Amino acid sequence: MEVHHSLGTTTDWVVMVIYFIAIMIFGSYFSKYNRTTTDFFFGGRRFAWWLIAMSILATGVSSHSFIKYSAKGFEAGFSSTMTYMNDWFFVPFFIFGWLPIIVYTKIRSIPEYFERRFSALTRFLATLLLLFYMIGYVGIGFLTMGKAILPLLPPELTLLGVHFNVTLMGLIFVIGLIVGIYITYGGQTAVIFTDLVQGFMLLFAGLLIFVLGLDYLGGFKVFWNLLPTEWKLPLAHFNDPPGFNFVGIFWQDTVAGSVGFLFMNMGLVMRFMACKSVDEGRKAAIFNILFLVPLSAIVVGNAGWIGKAISSVNPSVITPNTNPDEIFVVVSNIISHPGVFGFIMASLAAALMSTVSTLLNATAAVYINDIHRPVKKWLTKKAQSWKEANEQELLSARIATVVLTFLSVLSVIPFSQFPTIYEAHGYFHSTLTPPLVTAIFLGVFWKRYTNAAVIGTLVGGVALMVLGMYYPRPLIQIFDHGTAFDPVHPYTYIGALYNLFVCSLFAVLATLTTKLQIQIVGKIEKQENHRLIMSTFIAASFLIFTLIVFDLASLPVLFILTFVMVALVVLAANYYIEYNHEKKIDGLTVWSINKAKEYFKGSKINDREGEKVKVNWKLKDGADDTVHFAKNDMKRMSAEVGDLVYICDVRRYFGGLKSVHSIYGEPHDEDSAVYISKEHLAQGQFGKGKMLTAEKEM
Amino acid sequence: MPSFFNTWLPFIYLYGVGGIFFVCGLVIVKKSGAYNPSNKRHRYWWKITIFGFFYFMMMHALLILAALYL
Repeated sequence: MEVHHSLGTTTDWVVMVIYFIAIMIFGSYFSKYNRTTTDFFFGGRRFAWWLIAMSILATGVSSHSFIKYSAKGFEAGFSSTMTYMNDWFFVPFFIFGWLPIIVYTKIRSIPEYFERRFSALTRFLATLLLLFYMIGYVGIGFLTMGKAILPLLPPELTLLGVHFNVTLMGLIFVIGLIVGIYITYGGQTAVIFTDLVQGFMLLFAGLLIFVLGLDYLGGFKVFWNLLPTEWKLPLAHFNDPPGFNFVGIFWQDTVAGSVGFLFMNMGLVMRFMACKSVDEGRKAAIFNILFLVPLSAIVVGNAGWIGKAISSVNPSVITPNTNPDEIFVVVSNIISHPGVFGFIMASLAAALMSTVSTLLNATAAVYINDIHRPVKKWLTKKAQSWKEANEQELLSARIATVVLTFLSVLSVIPFSQFPTIYEAHGYFHSTLTPPLVTAIFLGVFWKRYTNAAVIGTLVGGVALMVLGMYYPRPLIQIFDHGTAFDPVHPYTYIGALYNLFVCSLFAVLATLTTKLQIQIVGKIEKQENHRLIMSTFIAASFLIFTLIVFDLASLPVLFILTFVMVALVVLAANYYIEYNHEKKIDGLTVWSINKAKEYFKGSKINDREGEKVKVNWKLKDGADDTVHFAKNDMKRMSAEVGDLVYICDVRRYFGGLKSVHSIYGEPHDEDSAVYISKEHLAQGQFGKGKMLTAEKEM
Repeated sequence: MPSFFNTWLPFIYLYGVGGIFFVCGLVIVKKSGAYNPSNKRHRYWWKITIFGFFYFMMMHALLILAALYL
């Protein structure tokens, strides 16, 4: 396979460095909006849909990356767009179910949802799996960045008299350092605003490559006629080859990937938490999936299509055996002029940085919420003021970001063993997402799903997934839809179907046998030695899990033992964990969203439709979290004392940056005036003499 | 000419199996009350959701036809 080095000119490097410095300065400007950890992680729940849509685009596009889709575009044609056009099937679940739940329950992380819906133990298991998932996801981002930048560098460098061999891992360490600095001082608001710039830049850069590429080839008609028919099809061959086929990618990406991305990608979930309201979140999601994502499919894959067309008309310019992961860089270099190539590469690197920084920020949020706070609560009895605690958490969040960056860099090592980033990402998705995806999905949409069942799902699902890795034949083979067996990377994509099936199987079995479990536990509790029995169950479960993880028995024995282990674990969960099912599903499933809305507000919902009003702000003396409007303005907004209100600078281009949420206090008689506290002013950063719009939330 | 495995089978599988997930989503959110037909905004998002399914289906069908016959 042909490997490239030293692509680009000095002008390109100058453009790249200037671009990066500008982005870092721009991002650091927004650090003043990080007054609390809520601002640092969630941007203060204030932004408009268009800002969030662009931010999701920058995060989503780069996470699926120019590199890997151009690689697949070069190998397989227009079917590289497949994974960008298959997200719609879970939209009803998301916009009517999960989105209102994450906003109204005010959860700060996915594991926190697990604790509130199930138990502390479930939260712990979810935290472990989620951290693995997110660190791995960031690792893939770093690998992509490394592979993108490596062809630009010479094979060796001498800096200040010290000689370096330029290696992929060395480069990734340097990239990790830069990203760590950027995210540590910016926070979520910085990420959202730099995403806005980067989102436009990468759309422009991707389309620029397409236009320049078509120009290079002699126009669209020449390009179209150069490609064979199979290449123009939007969906890949049903089950061939093993490295890129439709049915495997359907289960790995359309099902596991889409649910994983929408339901458990903390980076995305935090974007929606930063939206000013549920409706604004819906607008952002729909606009993104309907329009921005199909456009992105062209933006990220076209370098591969152009590369294929050039290689078929002139194989000496691009050889057919070019490393697919380098095709994006190679094509960009061939079709563009010095400086333009630098701009394209800077956009790519910045977009990747956006994804990686978003995920690092999200991973730090999981650390603070699900490890730092519970451990601190457990270890210290000392009472801290809100300000002290917040300052300490902000510092811990920054330190956590640095540590997580380092762990993510290390996680690149196993992923770099796959032939392309696409396959590494596919395998990663099909193995790490199914247990959590099944648990979250059923937790939200199936009200009968219990705490013992979710523990059974996670433990049993992981055990049978491990067996699937050891014995892809016959376990995964049953689900292969005719996909050929590749002994080096067996069932990279279709493995997701097997993994989803085994997790769902334990979920259903454990839920449907709930009454039986309670009866058995009741009988055990009547025994004198009930504690010993339960301790034996736990010890036996650990033993069986060890046998499975180290493959210490034959497949039939391990397979049967998995079911025995799940039965023991489920009984132990019922025995040890106090779980009130009715209380745990209240406001936390799709079946009780109205309750969640009431809990969010703290009182009865006021759904009467009102108008938006324009007001001048004035400072009040008190520091309580209420704002005071005129009686006439309250009437126009159909608002009552105690309702929730959103106040925002009238200038729409701020996208909600200067805004605040509050509660209606007692009204006054001064029309078009709102009295706010100093804290509201500090949060909203309202300009002196600038008008505000106010609208009732609920 | 590419085979059925390369053209319409992936399309049928995508919108057949994917369609089952999609319809299940609509049924669950309706039965659970998460979609409230008396709310004007909900009715709007409901229509957009159904439109989106056919929008992507049409787009894929047109792209397959273009690949085969243009």
